[in-house]
Amino acid sequence: MRRTGFLYDERYLLHDTGSYHPEVPERLLAVYKGIEEGNLLPELVRIKAETAERKWIELVHESGYIDRFGDACISNQRSFEHPDNQMCSETFDVAFLAVGGILKTADMVMQGELDNAFCAVRPPGHHAERDHPLGFCYFNNVAIAARYLQKKWGIGNVGIIDFDVHHGNGTQHIFEQDPTVFYYSIHQHPSFAYPGTGREFEYGTGSGHGFTKNNVVLPGQGDDVYTELIQEHLVVDFDRFKPEFILVSAGFDGHADDDMSDINLSTEWYTWMMETIMTMADRVAGGRVISVLEGGYCLQRLPELARNHVTTLLTGGK
Amino acid sequence: MFVSQSMTRKVITIDKEAGIFDAQEKFAEHRIRHLPVVDAENRLIGIVTDRDIRTAMPYSLFKDPTNQLEREKLSGLKIRDFMTVDPKTISPGYTIQDALLLIEQLRVGALPVTDEQGKLKGIISVRDLLRAFINVLGIGQPGTLVGILVEEKIGQMKKIVDAITEEDISFGSVLVARYWEKDKRAVFPYLLTQNVAPIKRKLKDMGYTLIDPMQWYLDQLPKYE
Repeated sequence: MRRTGFLYDERYLLHDTGSYHPEVPERLLAVYKGIEEGNLLPELVRIKAETAERKWIELVHESGYIDRFGDACISNQRSFEHPDNQMCSETFDVAFLAVGGILKTADMVMQGELDNAFCAVRPPGHHAERDHPLGFCYFNNVAIAARYLQKKWGIGNVGIIDFDVHHGNGTQHIFEQDPTVFYYSIHQHPSFAYPGTGREFEYGTGSGHGFTKNNVVLPGQGDDVYTELIQEHLVVDFDRFKPEFILVSAGFDGHADDDMSDINLSTEWYTWMMETIMTMADRVAGGRVISVLEGGYCLQRLPELARNHVTTLLTGGK
Repeated sequence: MFVSQSMTRKVITIDKEAGIFDAQEKFAEHRIRHLPVVDAENRLIGIVTDRDIRTAMPYSLFKDPTNQLEREKLSGLKIRDFMTVDPKTISPGYTIQDALLLIEQLRVGALPVTDEQGKLKGIISVRDLLRAFINVLGIGQPGTLVGILVEEKIGQMKKIVDAITEEDISFGSVLVARYWEKDKRAVFPYLLTQNVAPIKRKLKDMGYTLIDPMQWYLDQLPKYE
């Protein structure tokens, strides 16, 4: 058994998106329930959130943007710059807690208290751009964690794996010129899915060229196509890139029962994916993996998906 | 949607007395493929394309661009010797649709834009049209494509637009295409939201069939040569 951290905090439930929105607190409750019912809680190192220092968020986001977000929240706006980004008076603080919890988890891995961890946070992050919110995301949690690992802990190469069914436009844009952060995303083809970026021909720019990889999957496809692409691209690219730390943007919305996409992945596929990541992490990154929740909206499937995900973190790859 | 709004205004031009190598340098430097030829009053008198240059040059110069002997032989060749005189033009008041049809019909890569006095105002190329097309499709903005199959009768589109508007969702674009089944149309709203599941459910409840995007191909559209 590995020492696996589990970041979960009831304050993450306070981010209220209203009655007509899929990114709801019940998602986190479903995740928690699945892990609890699998009797996994005693095996895990429980982590409570703390508020992030603003300077770490500013590694990624413009200061003016953070101010705008805070102002919108204080003035009780129901959405932030687009109807997709529903919020309440707590959202700003909760977003700081999401980032802060992840950075605390990163500290624990770097201090040797943990081997790896799963961060069940809200709001999600991978659509958030440097200077604007997008697609339910406000702060780019994973991007901030990557920069934090480099700045605070002197990590060189960071590998980000994003298997959310949507492309992480924010993460890609933040790192597209940076050869020290490899962003790999596999998602539904952008011509058929939000947000319409992450095309196969986007490889990064400038000195970051070759350090962004997008695998696109057509609607109706599932396990077979995903598995083949992961083996042919992700595994090969990361073996070559040799990240010292792997961050996972874990979205479960490509599941066949999730109506946010037209992709048909099985529950078993998600387990295989995580085993593959763990095997790779052992090979190149000393087993250091932090997985952060992004999308995944099927409340009936989230418990088993979260349970299997955490089980794989505990037991490692095959 | 007028040519004047989409054209390139700062046109790189060339003089008819310039040499072939001057044109070649301009093509390379500005990464363009069309050089309008103008007189001292900026009146359009011709056009030169990178293809004209390639046709005019012997193969030996392509193999070795520094071949001095061949360069000297060609140094006397002026733009006026091989430019297309009185090229087809388009007026700035024409629409983008006009430009699309004309460029396709004339099989050219760009059209100089001239006013009534024949003075050069700009140039509109296939690239400018592509940019306009991306704009029309709305795909420069984050959104989700939805496909809906509708009976070809009056009022269908209104129902769909109303249903989507009621959900406070903005449109990036709406495409309507022929469907292979007679009396049916495929409607493709590009919605500027990630939250499409509720509207998809609503449309199904209203009795519409949502089209699997994979069952629909551009080549279902009528072709013409």
